[in-house]
Amino acid sequence: MAKYSITNGSTSGGGTQQSMTTTYVGAILGLSSSTTTPRRFKIYDVLIGTNGVPADNFVEWDISRITASSTTTVLAAQPLDPADATALTVATVNSSTFGTITTGSNVFYVGVNQRASYRWVAAPGGELVAPATSSAGFQLRARSGGYTGTATGTFHFEEQ
Amino acid sequence: MRNAGGYAFTFDVGGIRQEADSFTCAHCNRIVIVKPKCDPMDLGGMCRLCDKMICPACVNLGHCDPLEKKLERAEAKDRALRSYGL
Repeated sequence: MAKYSITNGSTSGGGTQQSMTTTYVGAILGLSSSTTTPRRFKIYDVLIGTNGVPADNFVEWDISRITASSTTTVLAAQPLDPADATALTVATVNSSTFGTITTGSNVFYVGVNQRASYRWVAAPGGELVAPATSSAGFQLRARSGGYTGTATGTFHFEEQ
Repeated sequence: MRNAGGYAFTFDVGGIRQEADSFTCAHCNRIVIVKPKCDPMDLGGMCRLCDKMICPACVNLGHCDPLEKKLERAEAKDRALRSYGL
């Protein structure tokens, strides 16, 4: 099973990082199954943080299920083993809009101080699993009552 | 916890500030962070049918609907729609 990484960092062609507001207005990262060749994928590592001027604010992070990805910048996920084939999963970064988020489907929600970064890593069997159905997947979003800068996120995932 | 389904770290300028085990709900895939010394009743529970840990929201539903079955249903629906050209 091939493993891949996707980040909203300063990758060429990765779009512009979106500023945070008090409500969810866009998606930092999104992963969804291809519409033509859907395949199950599992997110096993999530890294989140901020890259603005340090201050003490809370930031809420959320990963929810989607049934359609946002339409903005699509990037190719990088295989962790260069010998692996290109990912079939569609990765979107720095979106100013949402995809279609399934109501009440957040699978990850954590409040973190803006100065802190956070990592969650799954043990085998504890991954976030997306079905092999057209455009189904996950989206990472963030909001803050005080922080108005940009945020960073990284997903590591494997395709089945 | 024994056989944790994951692990979470918080870092800041002082290094690792907080570490916690997590488990992933076997019914809805939600990640539940296990806070140190928290009341086990706040974490959710153990499904007696699939014998897996589940989150508080799924405990309240009172029935067993494993994630794998949900994924299979979604994929079967998608395959059917594809076969109809939809």
